[in-house]
Amino acid sequence: MFRSPKSTFALVLFACLAPGVSYAQDYQIGTAATAVEITGWDIDIRPDGKGLPAGSGNAVNGEETYETYCASCHGVFGEGEGRWPVLTGGEGTLSDDRPVKTVGSYWPYASTLFDYIRRAMPFNAPMSLNDQQVYDITAYVLYMNDIIEEDFELSQDNLAQVEMPNQDGFYVDNRPDVSNPRCMTDCADPDSMMMQSSLAGVTPIGHFIEGADAPAASHSGQDELEASKEAERKAAITGEEVVAPVAKEATAMSAAAMVGEATYKAACGVCHTSGLAGAPKVGDADAWSERIQQGTDLLIIHALEGYAGSEGYMPAKGGRADLSDEAVTNAVLFMVESQQ
Amino acid sequence: MTQIKLPMTTPSTQQLLQTMQDASEHLSINDRRDFLRRGVSYVAGAAAVGGATIASATGLSSNLPPNEPIWSRQLGTGVVENPYGLPSRHEAQVVRRTVPWLTAESISSISMSPIQDLKGIITPNGLVFERYHAGVPDINPDEHRLMIHGLVDNPLIFTMDDLMRFPSVSEIKFLECPANGGMEWRGPQMEALQFTHGMLSCCEWTGVPLKVLLDAAGVQTEGKWILAEGADGAHMSRSIPMEKILDDTLVVYAQNGEMLRPEQGYPLRLLNPGWEGNTSIKWLRRIEVGDQPWHHREETSKYTDLMADGRARRFTFVQECNSVITTPCPENPILRKGFIEVEGLAWTGRGTIKGVDVSFDGGVSWHPAKLKGLVLDKALTRFSFSTHWQGEPWLIQSRAYDETGYVQPTLAQLREQRGVNSIYHKNSIHTWQVGPTGEVKNVQIT
Repeated sequence: MFRSPKSTFALVLFACLAPGVSYAQDYQIGTAATAVEITGWDIDIRPDGKGLPAGSGNAVNGEETYETYCASCHGVFGEGEGRWPVLTGGEGTLSDDRPVKTVGSYWPYASTLFDYIRRAMPFNAPMSLNDQQVYDITAYVLYMNDIIEEDFELSQDNLAQVEMPNQDGFYVDNRPDVSNPRCMTDCADPDSMMMQSSLAGVTPIGHFIEGADAPAASHSGQDELEASKEAERKAAITGEEVVAPVAKEATAMSAAAMVGEATYKAACGVCHTSGLAGAPKVGDADAWSERIQQGTDLLIIHALEGYAGSEGYMPAKGGRADLSDEAVTNAVLFMVESQQ
Repeated sequence: MTQIKLPMTTPSTQQLLQTMQDASEHLSINDRRDFLRRGVSYVAGAAAVGGATIASATGLSSNLPPNEPIWSRQLGTGVVENPYGLPSRHEAQVVRRTVPWLTAESISSISMSPIQDLKGIITPNGLVFERYHAGVPDINPDEHRLMIHGLVDNPLIFTMDDLMRFPSVSEIKFLECPANGGMEWRGPQMEALQFTHGMLSCCEWTGVPLKVLLDAAGVQTEGKWILAEGADGAHMSRSIPMEKILDDTLVVYAQNGEMLRPEQGYPLRLLNPGWEGNTSIKWLRRIEVGDQPWHHREETSKYTDLMADGRARRFTFVQECNSVITTPCPENPILRKGFIEVEGLAWTGRGTIKGVDVSFDGGVSWHPAKLKGLVLDKALTRFSFSTHWQGEPWLIQSRAYDETGYVQPTLAQLREQRGVNSIYHKNSIHTWQVGPTGEVKNVQIT
């Protein structure tokens, strides 16, 4: 068919037409943005001051505005409430074990503060503050960080000249910064290797705690420690007295109970940490007190031989027939002594 | 507390199973799954004492050969029962999860993809990890606009219809939060793969190269950076250098074949392949061309990497070569001795994965793994190593290397260069400890 003259003609015709149909890169899609439209959306500020609106503000006026719109999360002194961002303090801590990154200690440019307050704050009502309020709050936060004087009139003309303490603390990404050869054999000395298992409470710094970088990251394993550190840190800012938290006294456990912990975790915890199948939860004093009154010996017998009560079943050895009587006994002791 | 004393008997397997099933109804999905998984072996152990097995126990076998299962003896549900289909109810545990104590507020928080349960390299849309700075806006696409202005000859405004008229491209790219793994600079603490590596997803994205849109606006010669800004309450903003845009930045409106999910920026987002996820601005509404970066909050206060000396790196855009083993992992313990396909994911923001090695002895010796399926630029790449496990302890690791020759580093190497306070970009070799009963723990080797 393709050999017929007619088809050849059709192909030639198509080839001639094709370029004229559409290979244009000039899409002519979209409409011109007007100056008014651009002005309405162009909210960004740069370190050189480009984008700042006309106007000015100061910390004297900023104090009341800050306390109205900001203090509920950031604290009256910028110390941060709960896990909300800390705004003040932290100078000189950036190379510490637990650095405190705040506007004063970390942020390189004052323009960022104006830009961020305007685009995103208050958290529950972004873009609701007028330019005057943003200037006032910006001035107040800078003043709280001892960067400007209380009566300094922060303005469109001088904000870019405000020098931030950590202005020179940044440099552009220089990765890759490590070189790991693709070794295949004898790559490490097995005798000198150290293994670290999961630790509670090692969260470095709270990236997701939106600014409460150093101190507020919390974890059950270190709540107490963090609470006391947090109290000290806040006291340093607010001048309040530190109330030392009362430490819980650790109770001694028998050697057998300590040995039993491993068995508990491996075999018993399935039900006894969550209370499944009517199992008394470890740490639930109400659930355990009456049982303990019946005598530890009876509890051990129930654990070894099984037990059926109104609230659930305890299969013999928790269904782990492979466990020795001694291991089960030690696990029971661990659970009992954990209540005391 | 009074307790009715029943005759002391050892419960039957069926009673025990029923009790456990009933008890598990009150649990969260995660607890329940764990409970039932462990419960089954628990019951199996109890039953084995009596000389029985699960399959032959009364009440458990009616759906197993030689019996005809219940679902084969009746009709199922009809078409459009679920106009937008859902996973099987038996997969209800495959969900995004968060770490509640991480954040003050879920509106500005993160969730992780269940990468321990996913197959291949594509993340289903409902499971792509979430990161919001002011929550998910509910945007009417008819009223959404993209504005391009600044150092351009023709400032433009595009409607969604406009953008979808441009010739489209579809590309499979990973997306990762630079804080992925960042909770473990000081030590291991997340007993689940979902929490150690789940700020990671990979989709097929459809949209328009940003350079095509910038060409339409006519970038002036001084234009070296852009500011990308979202329409969410945070007006999330990042500065992006022009070289990246000329290379591969996309403006996308679809993922995995459908319009973007609200969580992923519906109706429009930026996509900077291989770069830290926050630069791929969601709910994209504005692009301004300028001659220098803006140094906004999310590129100064956040997303900068504090080094041990107190100085910080900025514009740390690239997600360096990384990998992790997904089978086994804490959520996927080894269930029985014998054959096991060790599997995992590898990815690099610098191009394609060239290979992955695995170690079973904590990094003393290494063995090349096989790359499976598609091996694409800046996409998740799946690797596999078939072996046998006979109950021996493993310290299992994976180590990826990419087309630039960069080899995934050890944690010790990263710590030596950076200290432990940089939060972001922890791409070190990860270790799982496999115990004698197949359980898997998160550990670190130094």
